[in-house]
Amino acid sequence: MLEQYVVADGIRYQHQVSGWRQAIDEVAQPLLDAGSVKPEYVQAIKDNVVQPGGTYMDVGSGVALAHARPEAGVIQTSLSVLHVGQPFLLADQEDHPITTMFCLAAEDAQNHLSLMQALASFLSDEKNQRRLEQVSSSKELRAVLSGL
Amino acid sequence: MKIVTVCSTGLGSSFMTQLNIEKALKQLGVSGVETDHMDLGSATPSDADVFFMGRDIADSGSELGDVVALNSLIDMNEITQKVKEALERHGVQVPGEAENS
Repeated sequence: MLEQYVVADGIRYQHQVSGWRQAIDEVAQPLLDAGSVKPEYVQAIKDNVVQPGGTYMDVGSGVALAHARPEAGVIQTSLSVLHVGQPFLLADQEDHPITTMFCLAAEDAQNHLSLMQALASFLSDEKNQRRLEQVSSSKELRAVLSGL
Repeated sequence: MKIVTVCSTGLGSSFMTQLNIEKALKQLGVSGVETDHMDLGSATPSDADVFFMGRDIADSGSELGDVVALNSLIDMNEITQKVKEALERHGVQVPGEAENS
């Protein structure tokens, strides 16, 4: 189950954000609070987004997986998620509207297999993609992630 | 036959795509295909027969050889279809389509 990988208070809902930078700040805050990542990690994600091809974090269906390299400041493998009522544009690009952003912190390239399996299996399920689009509170978001 | 998925960091988007490709291979009833994920900077043409990646980095990865660009990394219909085409391109037998569910 995906929910077990999410840090404390790591499931958030916001009606709208000022843009992708604020979305990254919001989704990464629980990881900072939990001591899972260093502030440099959050900056590294933002730096990645503005690189050419930085929108690779857009995995489709309005979902983005914000992440950077482990050496950019990961302390512990963990996950958080933010759903935004009004879509924001990743890298300010029209063809990358996002409503759900996960923030992934991975200690190394391999050892987050079970987390990624849970995430891939959750996101590749069309039913979950549709349910995510309808979310309008953190409580609902938690329910979708728990498969309730 | 080896399929490698690529993204800029080599552990998020590419890892998830690899897992979804493995799911697609299972759905297609194909076994014996090796899969792995890596970052764009370390991938070389000899690492795989086919490279899958998101549309946004497909241009940067084009020199890897057989590159498949995905519009979505979580759309199983698109992934399964493109995996099937890649297998056929490389002469791997795909069992009957009836099992496609």
